[in-house]
Amino acid sequence: MDFDSDVRLAVYQAFADTGNAPVLAELATRFGCSTDEIRAAFARLQRNRVMLLEPDGETIRMAPPFSGVETPHRVEVSGQRYWANCAWDALGIPAALHQEARVWSSCGQSEVLLRLRVGLEGPEPSHWLFHCQVPAARWWENLVFT
Amino acid sequence: MLFFRSEDMVKAWCRARGIEPRPIVTMSQLWQLAVAWYSTRLSPEARRPGPDEMRRIFARIGLNDPFWDPQADVFG
Repeated sequence: MDFDSDVRLAVYQAFADTGNAPVLAELATRFGCSTDEIRAAFARLQRNRVMLLEPDGETIRMAPPFSGVETPHRVEVSGQRYWANCAWDALGIPAALHQEARVWSSCGQSEVLLRLRVGLEGPEPSHWLFHCQVPAARWWENLVFT
Repeated sequence: MLFFRSEDMVKAWCRARGIEPRPIVTMSQLWQLAVAWYSTRLSPEARRPGPDEMRRIFARIGLNDPFWDPQADVFG
């Protein structure tokens, strides 16, 4: 694998292990390189739409389906808490981890709480629905809004 | 990208924002999207689906509206 792929995988593994984004210095230590080299890899990964950075260029806001910040979509897997970027990603986390999960979210209109169990083959039967306002062709124009 | 407990809730949410409701996705369809997008995300060979692959994924689970076309220009 090339360096960027190694960094990408390390970012995702950190999210999977801890529920949080890794910080630049941790990755630099792990790879035995400078923080500038990690920062440059982050920038390339963002350009390739692998992840989304905060304006500081080093804090990971999103490595979909994982979120680096708290959101209204919480997922728990084997006692580990994760934040998902959106409703889609709330199911994306158990799909990525290949583990059973519990999802907490709410209705976008009524704010009624959603509690959903997700097994290895998918969520329990549910009448709840998913709605996306932004067409697929524009998802990456403003990923936080999407 | 939000959950809603009914179609009426989707319509109310859109009405409050002056926008047209978009195609609605069931929980079963959403799971299939989640698997298609993310099931390899923690592996070395992970990658995002390209435009043609996205169209195939959406079509396979019955999401054929141009809304889901990653290169459509019919939606503002």
